[in-house]
Amino acid sequence: MIKTNFKARVLTSGLLVATMLTVVAGAASGPASAAKKLSPYLVGVPMPMTGAEAQAGTQIFNAELMAAQQVNKHGGVLGHPIKLLEQDDACDAGTAVNAANKLVSENVQAIVGGYCSGATLPVEPIIARAGIPYVMPAANSPELTTGGYKNVFLIDPSGSGDGAEAAAFFKQQGIKKVFIIDDQSSFGVAIANAAAQDITKDGGTVVAGGVQSIPATSNDFSAVISQIKSSGATGIYWSGYFSQAAQFATQLNAANVIGPNGTAKFVVADGSVDATYISGAGQAANGTYATIAALASGVGNVLNSRADHLFNAAYHKQFKSAPGPYSTFGYDAITALVLAARHVHSIKPARVIAGLRTLHFNGLTGKVSFDKTGNRLGAVMDLLEVVNGQYTLAKPQPKL
Amino acid sequence: MSLLLNEIGNGIFLGAFFGLVALGYSMVYGILRLINFAHGDFYMVAAFVSYTILGAVAVGNSHGQWLTVLWVGVVVMVITGGLAMLANQLVYRPMRRAAILSLMIAAIGLSQVLENGVLVTPQWGATYLVFPVTTPPSGFNLGSNHYTWAQLIIVLVSGLLALGVYFLVGRTLLGKAMRAVSEDRIAAVLMGINVDLVIAIVFFIGGALAGAAAVMTGVYYGQINYLMGFTVGLEAFTAAVLGGIGNIGGAVLGGLILGIVQSIGTGIFGAEWAIVVAFGALVLMLWFRPTGLLGERVARRM
Repeated sequence: MIKTNFKARVLTSGLLVATMLTVVAGAASGPASAAKKLSPYLVGVPMPMTGAEAQAGTQIFNAELMAAQQVNKHGGVLGHPIKLLEQDDACDAGTAVNAANKLVSENVQAIVGGYCSGATLPVEPIIARAGIPYVMPAANSPELTTGGYKNVFLIDPSGSGDGAEAAAFFKQQGIKKVFIIDDQSSFGVAIANAAAQDITKDGGTVVAGGVQSIPATSNDFSAVISQIKSSGATGIYWSGYFSQAAQFATQLNAANVIGPNGTAKFVVADGSVDATYISGAGQAANGTYATIAALASGVGNVLNSRADHLFNAAYHKQFKSAPGPYSTFGYDAITALVLAARHVHSIKPARVIAGLRTLHFNGLTGKVSFDKTGNRLGAVMDLLEVVNGQYTLAKPQPKL
Repeated sequence: MSLLLNEIGNGIFLGAFFGLVALGYSMVYGILRLINFAHGDFYMVAAFVSYTILGAVAVGNSHGQWLTVLWVGVVVMVITGGLAMLANQLVYRPMRRAAILSLMIAAIGLSQVLENGVLVTPQWGATYLVFPVTTPPSGFNLGSNHYTWAQLIIVLVSGLLALGVYFLVGRTLLGKAMRAVSEDRIAAVLMGINVDLVIAIVFFIGGALAGAAAVMTGVYYGQINYLMGFTVGLEAFTAAVLGGIGNIGGAVLGGLILGIVQSIGTGIFGAEWAIVVAFGALVLMLWFRPTGLLGERVARRM
């Protein structure tokens, strides 16, 4: 029985690859060939398509696909139909470098991708050498814009805001002892350190001798929880991703550190804002907090604007699933690229980079424009609280 | 001091999983001198199989449902045991006369096939799956630490399974045959032992234990992923070597020690040092006792 199953698996994998190729190819060339017969505008999309972060990667890619199809339906970029070339970066530095080199060798004219900062940082110099624009929908480690690259643009506001918002929350709650732990990823470490600085500045203490780290493959937090208990911390800050956040929250709840029998507050950074966090942690998610850019929290479950509603409905119709918290960022990333190209009347990479620099538009995630380093301007943070299995705006919001 | 005691408690719980998976490693090594790198992936496949079965039979997303989990656990143990036996039949048995290194490479290949097989299977795939049944948070206090009843049950079940294997290998005729094959395969054949059957049964038992560990991981930790077998495999392998690979009691002891060392390492030095402390302990152990804690004559052919 299982023997045939193996064959079936091999067969499915072949079929899957085939259908994916047709979807991507069809999406890009189909409607646009009807418009004009210019060469396609090749856009590389490195995203995690396998591994722990695959879900988020797919949700962002789908939204980019939607945006590209919309643009192609209306004549493409100055007549050039957009063609998205997807590559799996597996949220892994090594895989990401290979993916980037492959995309560059295929002569893509822009890169619109990146969810895990750890898989985005090592790629920056490669894309910079190629001299093409690099628009990142969701990667937002503060380190990404300190390399001095002129072609990098972050749609998701820099994660340093997460740390400041969390510190403000702990101050508002009168919490002095905070246990901070990251997942050893570039994103997690940068945000944890930013939070530690802000908390110390506000007169709080980071207990257990400073920021702690746990490998991203670990699913058992019991040793860490004993550490938290003996340190007497009443605030816990997690800066890693959602799958571990769910296990951490569940185990904190079972150990009576948080939840109905606990006294501590659990706060996570924006990498942990995901529907899987709530479904994975179940009851334990209720009463936990998350920090995220105000623009991002508008999607999914809270604060739906009209445009978000339309987007959600269209996404649902096309992919038979709900968009993720970063889907609209993917949509806006493509939109930003296209508007920049239209603005400078060229798809030449150097010109498009110049266009992005002076870009101003209202996207699904709010006003989009960038500062000199490529950071998103005007980032405002929100504090979310999970109530009855839903993300809601926490009241009152902490003052920065 | 209380932190230390708490971390020992946490370590025993963690070690129960390591020990259970390590048993499979150790038994296969004992009989074939093969480090079965695909063993962690049997565990992973078992987690996905139990996810699917539990999803179909569990009523709502509720806590507990102990009886359902119990019978699903038994079914998954049989399925995983069967899978391990099949792997032996398809991959390792045709290569029995090949060099041990070729077998190990085949094991790595099998591991890749299983991981990517799960990756492309509809309904499974690359994402984190949330287990349909989870354990309730209620429990008891010991010292200043709170343990859930589920944790206690998991440790007890692991202990019982390990004891069962210990008696099977040490006290039954089948166990005697296993030890004979492990000692000298050719002599065993001459004594009329069906060597292929014995090897198949060893694979079955190892797989079944990995299956039990997987179901318990699923209901306790609540999330599974197609790469989860790699980490567990590495840790269980370490546990097996620490205890003396090829030795039943050693695998369990090694698992417990590894769990406790990791937890204490976290408690004293912080979580980022847990793995350093654990592997440091392994290096020290191999330095002073290359055969592991309870190991006898091994370390040839490695």
